[in-house]
Amino acid sequence: MKTNTFSYKCRLYLMFAGVSTAVFAAVVIIPFIYGLYLTFTSWDGVSKQKPFVALQNYMATFADTAYWQALGRTMIYSVIAVILVNVVAFILAYMVTSGVKGQNFFRAGFFIPNLIGGIVLGYIWKFVFNRAFVALGESFSIGFLSTSWLATTNGAMLCLIIVSVWQYAGYMMLIYVAGFMSVSSDVLEAASIDGCTDVQTIWYISVPLMVSSFVQCLFLTITRCFMVYDVNLSLTNGEPFNSSVMGAMHVYNQAFTYKNYGTGQAEALILFIICAVVGVLQVYVGKKAEVSA
Amino acid sequence: MKNRLVVMILTAATVSSLMACGGGDGDAASGGAEGTGVSITIFNSKSEVQGQFEEMAEEYSAKTGVNVEVYYSNDTVAAHLATRYSANDPYTLAMVDAKDIYSLAEDYASDLSDQEWVDKTDYEISVNDKVVGFPVCVEARGVIYNADAIEAVTGETFVPEDYTTLDAFEGLLEKLAAGGMEAPAGIMKEDWSLAAHYLAETYEQQSDVEGFISDLYAGSADLAGNEKWNSMMDTFDVLMKYNYAASSPVAAEREVTEQKLAEGDIAFMFGGNWDWSVISEYDYTENMGMMPVPQNTNDGTNGKLVGGGSKYFFIDSSDNTSEEQRQAAKDFLNWLVQDGEGNQFLTEKCNLVPAYTNISAAALDPLSVSVKKYADGNLLIDNYNYLPDDHLSVCGAFMQEYLAGKTDRTALAEKVAQYWMAATPIEH
Repeated sequence: MKTNTFSYKCRLYLMFAGVSTAVFAAVVIIPFIYGLYLTFTSWDGVSKQKPFVALQNYMATFADTAYWQALGRTMIYSVIAVILVNVVAFILAYMVTSGVKGQNFFRAGFFIPNLIGGIVLGYIWKFVFNRAFVALGESFSIGFLSTSWLATTNGAMLCLIIVSVWQYAGYMMLIYVAGFMSVSSDVLEAASIDGCTDVQTIWYISVPLMVSSFVQCLFLTITRCFMVYDVNLSLTNGEPFNSSVMGAMHVYNQAFTYKNYGTGQAEALILFIICAVVGVLQVYVGKKAEVSA
Repeated sequence: MKNRLVVMILTAATVSSLMACGGGDGDAASGGAEGTGVSITIFNSKSEVQGQFEEMAEEYSAKTGVNVEVYYSNDTVAAHLATRYSANDPYTLAMVDAKDIYSLAEDYASDLSDQEWVDKTDYEISVNDKVVGFPVCVEARGVIYNADAIEAVTGETFVPEDYTTLDAFEGLLEKLAAGGMEAPAGIMKEDWSLAAHYLAETYEQQSDVEGFISDLYAGSADLAGNEKWNSMMDTFDVLMKYNYAASSPVAAEREVTEQKLAEGDIAFMFGGNWDWSVISEYDYTENMGMMPVPQNTNDGTNGKLVGGGSKYFFIDSSDNTSEEQRQAAKDFLNWLVQDGEGNQFLTEKCNLVPAYTNISAAALDPLSVSVKKYADGNLLIDNYNYLPDDHLSVCGAFMQEYLAGKTDRTALAEKVAQYWMAATPIEH
């Protein structure tokens, strides 16, 4: 059979990737294009008419100060959360690969928060911040604990960051664990014979050899933090005074609650572009830093 | 060659299982229609009566042969219905809020003007001179009180009518505070309570509501100097002063506040008769009720609750619903109003204040009893159903800032006025 013809390649492609391509097109590509079309209409989300309004939604987006505030907030949140998640995950990964007793148990334990859905997690932590901490603070007269952190502007952001770190650190830890394991014991042994300290071994041997883990973890955390919605919804719901509304939540409100579907869609598109640019840039820079032993 | 066959079979199996997923959804509602062979779907947006609705659907199906399926969603009503309409799978009957009727009616609601129940209610909604919205119940807002808690401190019988003015009300709060109930009031920090319920009353109690709102849109209304605004905010200030959560008011959780009210730790909270569904979760007393928001005014508004019809059914008019289904849905609405069992379902099982003159309701919860008393006495100020969609969220944040002591009244009035000037008016 000829294997170099176009039709053979097509059939081969369809056989292996046909289904996934069809599904991907149905749930990602087509909605994306349709969404692009909706940004040029003033549709309210339910009516039969979709009046064409050219670039009005984009103008409304640029004039929507609440949206830019939400984006700025998302940036700050993402930067802090991404750094903390990765630092914590890296430290955890180092600890559970260093051969402590029961390290498999610890790996499972740190990973479990990631198995709890964001909505549930938000409600659990809301209880912790609103009731448990406050009760502790009151009974031991600890000033900064005796009022709920969720009631203040900065406190609510801090709570969001704490919960995100708790949620994602375990997952990223697993990727870093895989990174640590992939570093061959030959080079580690060589390093120790050459007189490297533990810190030197990590910094000069392990880290450069596991750059791909960093690239993956950073990509995952950056995109997740930028798109955060579930924890935001159940933990703070934008309160107090809409000061913890993140980008995705503002987009949802704009499209579904305020019934400006077109504007919401345009804002979502901008959020997507920012996410995509940051994500791709980071992967590109990260890939360049990769080395092989 | 053998391998290829296996791959093809596997692919076919995957595709068919995916197709089965997609098709499964539509079948769920159509099964089991014996009797007349007609199936209708009902969307219920009052979570507290979902159980009652499901039970009723079963009995109604058994009795009439019309297969009834009841659905509920946690999503915003408008967003949920938008999804169903985009999927060409709307509900035959959908229970929505008044403002949703106005946005949906033109495209999707059936004309119900010829129905008998129209003459028996004052609360139906008409769009373009056609009746489209069937009011499910009457709900009203005011100050909820726990008479047992008050009487335990004062030792006198609590007569809410004695406390219609703010001076009298504040005197009572002072007395309660002196008598040992340190902070007798609770304020819900939820934006819907602050903006859509409390702040909205400052518009709804104006003598010319439409005129005032159009002035707000135009920017010509002097909110900060408005008598009603100041009167309502005076009362709000007093509630804030006696708020049990005054040290951290925006951290107060609704459940905690209502539990305190139910159990008599606090005596007053601004709310509505829907709050009973939360209060009744706790160790409550029957000796509760609702009274108008106390104000130092003589325009009569401090003798009235604010409210009216709440939650409306409309019948889908799109091609996705057949004539038989529409008829079955109309029959169902008639059953609710005309049939003894239907009445009983509304008032006794669901504990709703009836919106129809022919329905008597003897077994209501204490808050609903108050609402019915005011409704029967014609002492309800109408809801204003045309607040812009983002009013609740944006002005709710302003009110929260005020509640937390981050802004003063002048700045709040300024912000609310600014909001209105930038808002898009709702056509009605």
